[in-house]
Amino acid sequence: MAQGNFWVKLVTVAGFEADDTLEQDAQLVQHCLQGDGSAWEELVRRHTRRIFNICYRFTGNGTEAEDLSQEVFLRVYKTLGSYRSAYGGFATWMSSVTRNLLIDHYRRTKRDRITDSLEDAMPVVENKESAGRRPDQQLLLGELSSQVQTALTKLSPELREAVILRDLQQLEYNEIRQVLDVPEGTVKSRINRGRIELARILQQMGVRPS
Amino acid sequence: MTWTCEQTEARLSEYLDGLLTPDERYAFDMHVNACEHCVPLVASVSHLLTDLRSMEQLEPPPQLITSILNQTIGPRKTSKGWRGAFGWLSGLASPRFAYSAVSIAASMAILLAASGISLRKPKLADFYPGNIARSVDRQAHLAYAHTTKFVSDLRVVYEIQSRLNQDNNLPTTPETTMPQTAPGKSPGSTDSTRPDAPRQQNRANGIRRELEVLATEVPSASVSLCGRLLKRRIP
Repeated sequence: MAQGNFWVKLVTVAGFEADDTLEQDAQLVQHCLQGDGSAWEELVRRHTRRIFNICYRFTGNGTEAEDLSQEVFLRVYKTLGSYRSAYGGFATWMSSVTRNLLIDHYRRTKRDRITDSLEDAMPVVENKESAGRRPDQQLLLGELSSQVQTALTKLSPELREAVILRDLQQLEYNEIRQVLDVPEGTVKSRINRGRIELARILQQMGVRPS
Repeated sequence: MTWTCEQTEARLSEYLDGLLTPDERYAFDMHVNACEHCVPLVASVSHLLTDLRSMEQLEPPPQLITSILNQTIGPRKTSKGWRGAFGWLSGLASPRFAYSAVSIAASMAILLAASGISLRKPKLADFYPGNIARSVDRQAHLAYAHTTKFVSDLRVVYEIQSRLNQDNNLPTTPETTMPQTAPGKSPGSTDSTRPDAPRQQNRANGIRRELEVLATEVPSASVSLCGRLLKRRIP
């Protein structure tokens, strides 16, 4: 078990991960299922950044993104036995789990957001975007990124997830179809509508001249 | 193939992602080039894609991986016994630590030397603030005196060399070396020059006297240099 994990690390160090990512993930999953803790640790290290970014772009909140990322890995750990490589890559499967959790989270917190928006009768873009974000994250985002992030959180969840997966995670259309579990025509339509709507929101915010 | 504004809006992302057929792409381009309504739409979404793709991936908080591992496989194993107690020492073997340690040691050695503390025979009195201050003051004055003396020596040596060079550059033709009667001086005058001797010889005698005076005043390096010059250059 440990020997298999060693070879995965060696291949990664040698710089051949681009072609072998799927294969390595599959091997690591196999080792995890056989009880190898270091293989699970390696899987967590490989995918934390990507999962955290999906969660952050969807929620626009660092604390929520951190909590959701933990929840994603907890669920993946519990349901790892149900993963089959025939369904697609491990990363796609993880993205699908993440997406389901994000939608659940969105529905769960919808009532809170409506209350918040009623309390903030005159929402200010700058204040809203910095809410719940730590100073180091604020520094990481440039002004434009902040505005695009703010605009993203104003999209409907269906359009938002499609745009995040396509334009921020650079997934192909067929991968997005697998993650969202919808026909490819629906994927195309959501990505298109999401982009047009996002451009319109940015124009209303004054980021782009109309 | 005819193309409408509705088609442009519906298939804009396919166009931008390169999913249209060549015929569809041509029709799209032809329509957008001629349609005032569609140009801003295509431009705004194109800019949006540029903005989205320029957004960098954020780094997750450092404690996130540890939290995930703690929640899934539990806290990681830690070494016990002697290995665990001295495990932190393994970090000292890194090149960065060695480089820092050498830098600190060199800095400390310079500071101790400047403050006059002897490491061979350390005394408790050396570490009293008053003694350190006095010692630093003494060292600073000594350094200043040595520097001043060195510059002064250099200046003397430079003057000697300039004089010798000037002397070598004098013309030695018979006309110029013939004894001339100085208009303001008469033979047997009180200065030490001999009117009947050549001018070069008079000048050499003068330099020799100056060098002897300098050699008595300036010790060490300049003295030895003056001595050598006297032996070699002046007959």
